Amino acid sequence: MSAVSAKPFESSGLVRALVKYLNIFKASLIERLAYRADFLLGTFLRLLPLLTTILLWKAVYHSKDEISGYSFRQVVAYLLLVHVSRMFSSMPGLASGVARDIRDGNLKRYLIQPLDLMAYLLAYRMAHKVAYIVTSLPLYSVLFYFMGSFFDIPTDPKIYGAYVLALFLGFLIGFAFELSLGMLGFWFLEISSFLYLVNTVNFFVSGHFLPLDLLDPWVAATLKMLPMQYMAYFPAALFLGKIGNWDSIIFGISVEICWCVFFFLLARFSYRLGLRRYGAYGG
Amino acid sequence: MNETAIIRAEGLCRTYTVYEKQPGLIGSIRSLWNRKYRTVVAVDNVSFSVEPGEIVGFLGPNGAGKTTTLKMLSGLIYPSSGTASVLGFTPWERADSFRRQFSLVMGQKNQLWWDLPASDSFDLHREVYSLPKDRFQTVLGELIEMFEVSRLVRQPVRELSLGERMKMELIASLLHEPKVLLLDEPTIGLDVVAQQTIQRCLREYNRLKQATILLTSHYMRDVEALCKRVLVITNGKLVHDGPLATIVQRLGSIKQIRLQFAGESLPANIRLPESSRVQGTVVDLSVSRELVSETISRILEQHPVSDITVTDPPLEDVVARYFQETSEVPKT
Amino acid sequence: MSSRRSLSSYFRLLTVFAKYSLAREMAFRGNFAMKVLLELVWLAILLIFFRTLFRGVETIAGWDQHAFLFFIGCYYALEGVIETFFLENFVEFGDLVRSGNLDLHLLKPIDEQFLLSFRYVDWSTVPKVFIGAGMMSIALVQGGIVPSPIYLILFMALFLAGVSMSYSFLLLLSSTAIWMVRNQSLMELWWLFTTLMRYPRDIYDVSWAIPIKLIFSFILPALLVISVPSEVAARQLVNPLWITWTIIASVLSLKVSRMVFQWSIRSYRSASS
Repeated sequence: MSAVSAKPFESSGLVRALVKYLNIFKASLIERLAYRADFLLGTFLRLLPLLTTILLWKAVYHSKDEISGYSFRQVVAYLLLVHVSRMFSSMPGLASGVARDIRDGNLKRYLIQPLDLMAYLLAYRMAHKVAYIVTSLPLYSVLFYFMGSFFDIPTDPKIYGAYVLALFLGFLIGFAFELSLGMLGFWFLEISSFLYLVNTVNFFVSGHFLPLDLLDPWVAATLKMLPMQYMAYFPAALFLGKIGNWDSIIFGISVEICWCVFFFLLARFSYRLGLRRYGAYGG
Repeated sequence: MNETAIIRAEGLCRTYTVYEKQPGLIGSIRSLWNRKYRTVVAVDNVSFSVEPGEIVGFLGPNGAGKTTTLKMLSGLIYPSSGTASVLGFTPWERADSFRRQFSLVMGQKNQLWWDLPASDSFDLHREVYSLPKDRFQTVLGELIEMFEVSRLVRQPVRELSLGERMKMELIASLLHEPKVLLLDEPTIGLDVVAQQTIQRCLREYNRLKQATILLTSHYMRDVEALCKRVLVITNGKLVHDGPLATIVQRLGSIKQIRLQFAGESLPANIRLPESSRVQGTVVDLSVSRELVSETISRILEQHPVSDITVTDPPLEDVVARYFQETSEVPKT
Repeated sequence: MSSRRSLSSYFRLLTVFAKYSLAREMAFRGNFAMKVLLELVWLAILLIFFRTLFRGVETIAGWDQHAFLFFIGCYYALEGVIETFFLENFVEFGDLVRSGNLDLHLLKPIDEQFLLSFRYVDWSTVPKVFIGAGMMSIALVQGGIVPSPIYLILFMALFLAGVSMSYSFLLLLSSTAIWMVRNQSLMELWWLFTTLMRYPRDIYDVSWAIPIKLIFSFILPALLVISVPSEVAARQLVNPLWITWTIIASVLSLKVSRMVFQWSIRSYRSASS
């Protein structure tokens, strides 16, 4: 920490905090970009299953034009869009990392240093995402260019705004959700198998696997009441015009914001509770 | 060379190239045609022979080539040149019958299943080596008694202390009654009591079964306790092959004293030999064995000392000095 | 003294490995239960997906509902076999190489490939095999399909061929752990293999997908693993050429993977110190 500065603006706590988190952001960005080459290969490998799924649906739609309101083109478009949603909302290693830090007693760091765990992780993840999205951009642009015929481009400009907002909120929900899961580390020693279970269930429940609308109507309705749909289904369905009229969209986004707030509060609350009950034990 | 030797090494050499690995998949692919490397000589023309029933020690600093030599004798790695014969086999051909007749135990590497009692691992071992049940039970009983672990055999291995675990590892390695036992740093990381127990058991085993034992260590104590004959290896070269007594005499005569002086700084009028190292109020000196008590009492009389430790000098220094000495003094 | 082990002694060794693996697994009952729960969740997802697919369509790429269910059952069972006997062992292989503990396995008087492939048996995935077999039986019964004994024997042989090809792929991947720095890709690449074998190969009969079909039928025969045996048992489709090729491919992949494995071990032994 530097010596006391005469300038009142610089000594403002808020500015210093912002600068600090910006630096974390920058450092994390560089770290992610270093793995660019591996990442490219990994992305390519990740696209092959997508191809397989598209081929399967093509075979399904061979004898039928439309299933539950989805044409073949729309299903393919959905699968691609869900990839994009997941690009924003997936948080690999966040929950397990937090649980591990709790178990190993690394949280002492956050008590001693003027660093807030949640803010730090948020900055780190945001950087990760930005790097990930930026490096994915060329690849996905090519992909979407080739698959352009599957999309009906929305004409209403408001849709784009809503879509981007939904994606960003999806990122926040994904983050806060995984963070809350990680807090279980205060009460349970080994949560990795539980996390795996949650991720497996989420894969289906979020609509990542297939459009929720294709399921039995009452199943679909139930799943749409859960927050997980915002991590995959909602943004994709919004873009495809499956959410309904503008009012429904507003409603959906409002609920999304509520879930967002809910999970952040949950994470914060369980963090405080956990720290108080157990100290930052471990090691 | 002796015809009766059970282990024979002639001109064993081992050099290997160290590639600088680059991270990531692309890095690995790129490194397939464009590699940066350097050559390391791990073992340089080592020759010796061991008679059945001997306990021989390999002494030398870390990285000297002891483990590499041992691995060559167990067939795990190929020599770059030279020959060896263990129990009549060429080790690196790894004949099944060869593998049945020897054991290699590496300190800090365990083969026992972590979550199960040692007895289960022993049973597994029996199956792997196809040992007849009756003979196995007898041998196991003898070993358990020798190592005094009857209470512990049914406990999961992860609950045992480091010393107890090592005992179990040794028992496992002896279940098939090997004629040759190779040990790589068997007492590393163990406390003094555990070290002594292991040493005692090995001595006992050698006496009872006439098994040939080769052990590497950088602890002088291990070698002192067990080996009448010592091979010293530094920088891959064999620099001494003979009785331990010769080395102990020459090398064991220096002691290191560490003094911690009370107060803020060193007493002004202190007289210290030139070779001493000073750090703040801590002084390290090397003194020959006979002069230790005299030196200490002289200093204690005149200056306030809060702590004294007397130790053997680290083996690296000792052996390095030995190597230096042997290269300076003409051989008689 | 003959040092060649008989086949029966290898089999007995396998049962001992299985026995102690079970003992070890029972020490962690909670974890075991969680893994079984996970499998059931996955099964539920697969079945819901299956039901969704067939709502309103009669056949997919020539497979009717019952044949498709058989296919899924076969997939589940084969995945169960691989996960029970091999997956854990191969995932650990990379760690063994890195830690140097591989040496301990090379000292034993057994074939290294056998030891490294069969050391641990994962009992938590055994239910998958039975559930898969159950699904296959149900599919046959519901579809009124009664395969003749010859077809059943053919199915068993082709199922085994599929297991061999999957095993060889894993062995090949693991062997490269000796040269590669990072090895978490093993699980990813295995998952890729399973996504390829997860659906009937007929879906690749689309103009632009033909190259993929060819590559993964002849060079890395993932598409054959489930498709060919299921075609025989559930659809009574016996194409002598494909069947012969599947058998040949399985034998070839076993041989090639063993060669690569032994070569990697040799290379490991030349490079380590």
